[in-house]
Amino acid sequence: MPVPATDLLARSLVLLIALSWLAWDAPPLKGETPLHQRIDLIIAEKAGGSLAEQATDAEFLRRICLDFAGRVPTSTEVKDFLLDKRADKRTAMIDRLLADTRYADRMTDLFNIMLIERRSKHEEWLKFLKESFAANKPWDQMTREILAPDVDNESNRGSAMFYTARLEHYGQNPPDVPGLVRDVGRMFLGVDVQCAQCHDHLFVNDYKQADYQGLYAFVGTATLRTDLKFPAVSENPLLQKIAFKSVFASDEMKTGPRLPGGNEVEIPAITKGQEYLVPPDKKLKTPGVLKFSPMRVLAETLPRKDNPAFAKNIVNRLWWMMMGRGLVDPLDLHHSDNPPSHPELLDLLASEITAHAFDIKWLLRELALSETYQRSTILPDEAAARAPLATYRAALERPLSPTQLLESLLRATGQPVHDAKSVAELRDRFDKAFANPPKEPEVSVAPTVKGALFFSNDAVVVAWFDRQENNTVDRLSQLSDAVALVDEAYLTILSRVPTELERTDAVRFLKDFAGPRERAISHLTWAMASSTEFFVNH
Amino acid sequence: MQENSSLCTPSEHRISRRKLLGATGAAIGAAGLGGLVQPAIADELTKKDRQVLFVWIDGGMSQLESWDPKPNTRFGGPFRTIRTSVPGIEISELMPQSARQMHHLAVVRSLCTQDNSHSAGVARIQRGDPKNRGVTYPYFGSAVANLMGPGHSKLPAYVWIKPGSGGFIHEDAGFLGPKYGALAFGDGKPPENLLRPESVSAAEDDARQELRELMNARYAHRRRPLVSDANKYVFDTAKTLMHRRELFDESSFSVRDRERYGTHDFGRHMLIGRKMLEAGVRFVKVNSYGWDTHGDNFNAHLNLMPKFDQAFSAIIEDLAASGMLDHVLVIAMSEFGRTPRINGHIGRDHWPEAWSLVMSGCGVKRGVVVGKTNHEGTFVDSEPFDIGHMFHTWFRALGINSGTVEYDNNGQPLPIAHDDHHACDEVLA
Repeated sequence: MPVPATDLLARSLVLLIALSWLAWDAPPLKGETPLHQRIDLIIAEKAGGSLAEQATDAEFLRRICLDFAGRVPTSTEVKDFLLDKRADKRTAMIDRLLADTRYADRMTDLFNIMLIERRSKHEEWLKFLKESFAANKPWDQMTREILAPDVDNESNRGSAMFYTARLEHYGQNPPDVPGLVRDVGRMFLGVDVQCAQCHDHLFVNDYKQADYQGLYAFVGTATLRTDLKFPAVSENPLLQKIAFKSVFASDEMKTGPRLPGGNEVEIPAITKGQEYLVPPDKKLKTPGVLKFSPMRVLAETLPRKDNPAFAKNIVNRLWWMMMGRGLVDPLDLHHSDNPPSHPELLDLLASEITAHAFDIKWLLRELALSETYQRSTILPDEAAARAPLATYRAALERPLSPTQLLESLLRATGQPVHDAKSVAELRDRFDKAFANPPKEPEVSVAPTVKGALFFSNDAVVVAWFDRQENNTVDRLSQLSDAVALVDEAYLTILSRVPTELERTDAVRFLKDFAGPRERAISHLTWAMASSTEFFVNH
Repeated sequence: MQENSSLCTPSEHRISRRKLLGATGAAIGAAGLGGLVQPAIADELTKKDRQVLFVWIDGGMSQLESWDPKPNTRFGGPFRTIRTSVPGIEISELMPQSARQMHHLAVVRSLCTQDNSHSAGVARIQRGDPKNRGVTYPYFGSAVANLMGPGHSKLPAYVWIKPGSGGFIHEDAGFLGPKYGALAFGDGKPPENLLRPESVSAAEDDARQELRELMNARYAHRRRPLVSDANKYVFDTAKTLMHRRELFDESSFSVRDRERYGTHDFGRHMLIGRKMLEAGVRFVKVNSYGWDTHGDNFNAHLNLMPKFDQAFSAIIEDLAASGMLDHVLVIAMSEFGRTPRINGHIGRDHWPEAWSLVMSGCGVKRGVVVGKTNHEGTFVDSEPFDIGHMFHTWFRALGINSGTVEYDNNGQPLPIAHDDHHACDEVLA
């Protein structure tokens, strides 16, 4: 029966009204949409092509374990996860790993490399990071503790190493004060103003010499304390503005402490000789307490909710950690000629973490829940290979830190857990082979010949692939069935089940190898562990 | 007023380095990997297989005690000149062996450069002292490694044989990225972990590497190529080095060669350098240290020059005899010369105003002297050449048109040698 026209019209009207009502209601509805879904909407909208499938359960598990626990899962963990039939098992795994004590270890490794860039080492700094992440200390609070370290607070005084690592003599070089100024900008605001030290930046219009000099006024008087056994700094009084000249001009300019793009902090008028609340004591070697401490002012001014650069910097760095690339890339070059790949996403993440009191763990959970994070690294089609990385059409392969690599290799080869001293020695060994040189950020996968030679020939590493009681090769050697052996090797080392082809390859390798079976197993496991697949977080 | 104490380390150079490093950077394709605007040129140059031997005389050899002597003048010092195999060309009597090879050599006596300090001067000279564009330029070795690639040998393109410790000297590469840094063999010894552990036989190693490559190929399928390619490159290079262990085996040198080159470090290193060149390494740098003769200059040169003379003349003779000199460019130089004025410690100080270097080999005239200094050797008395002129000259000798070929620093085109300088035509064949 034909529907009368009027009826149709009426129905359309109802639909229209309903739609417009929905549209009107969109903002509150959107507000209730979890952040991870809003992330996915923005990414999908700008992808410009097909998106990769979601990662398999095995790929997801390996990835999330590396990100939150700093090492690959055991073969039992992989098997359990694959057999788990719960629909929300990924969410459950994310929550389990975020609640585990390994989370703080992993974050300590990441932030230690990021903030110190291999300049120095100190147990108290690591303790500060670990306890902060274990307690899920808000990022603004951590930043305050780093920028104005409290020498009298035993639990977090190690935070001073951010300063001391730059103020220590490095070889024959003098204390790197310009490097310190630069890194306050890079690490906490995402701007690298060092090239604006002597003149306005030549290529970045936003970076002015006054920005460098304003940051310099905050930390330029910081000095290293050498009388204590833990990292500590003091500061000399700042009585007047910093005077500077561009090498291209002759007029002198002046600035007090000022964040890039922010307001200048007024230096209170204090007469010389009256700078201290508690004067320094040469006998006791105490540095005294300043009436006006630029470092304390910095710690109060920089990590604030009304400083968007502070929030954008940390969300960009956490995004890089989880997705392999900053929304602003490089991480420390936020400026108007280098816009974020997804400006609205950066704004969204920044406002959300601000609203959530700079809760790092909360943001990491949302990122981990997103389809963007859980996408496969296998490209959806040929065109995606040429698509810009920032489209996130497939997940990006990410580097393993030397410690992630070590911990994963210990697991994969079934090495018994070492005592703390042996672990420290192994870490040094792996840092030497795989870490970037000091002062170089470690942000992307960067294989080296040195690393390849190390993996192939280092006596300690090679021995892990020899049969030893209860190690992986020993365990595999006890399996008489070649297929079962290969499957177990894949689960243990690459955290997945092999494909039919891979199984055939490996079984043939075991069969054709001219030598004892356990040697064949050694080489099979070595080949797996030295493959590209093991070497990256994919 | 605060001091502007540290050097600018421009972020532009870091961006490019990170991206060139590959992996998660955005630069994909030929420009990103090679940093060269015209990749076709690299292919062509690979075919020509021209190589470089760069002898670095660290600290500053005295031009007056070597290539530009001024006997019987106020600053001339005690040494006489001797005739060479080229009539009319005379050099210091401290170089009798090199004098016999003069018909293979081209001496430039009119260098006039900008820096008289070691700390800045060494890098400034080896980076070609281009116009300051806020980026760190590559050392000549890294430049050649980037522009010409490793060639057929597949060995690392830039190898440095130096006294002391070795390693991967990534700083040399500047904005080109660590991949183009120097692979340094300290005292000519192999890099760490070069030797296969005794528990793994050669056949076993081949088998496990082959299996690894098969797994990598499967993994790379349908993934972005950058990470897999970078990983393949480093394992391939490691494998090549492991298979060429004989490069580090000094026992293969004949007694005669060892005596000809000298049993001192520089002689040994030069002989290892010859082996590297014979193996096809694109760029070999050999260092000699200890030339900073502020005190007792003449005794010091009396001690140093014979070692240099011995090893340098031996390798020129050998390269000429084997025909390799037709495709190997040889350069021997310091960061500056030494003052004509003799100081209170009977020494000579740093003098970039007027000094000399020597070249030989492909693309270079044989048996010539270019440029001259004044009577007392204090200043250049012909067209002065800066290091930028030399970079143009060397690139041209290697078949690279330094006027048109550019680096691509992440979209920023950069000349490969100083824009205002030009090649020294008088020395080019």
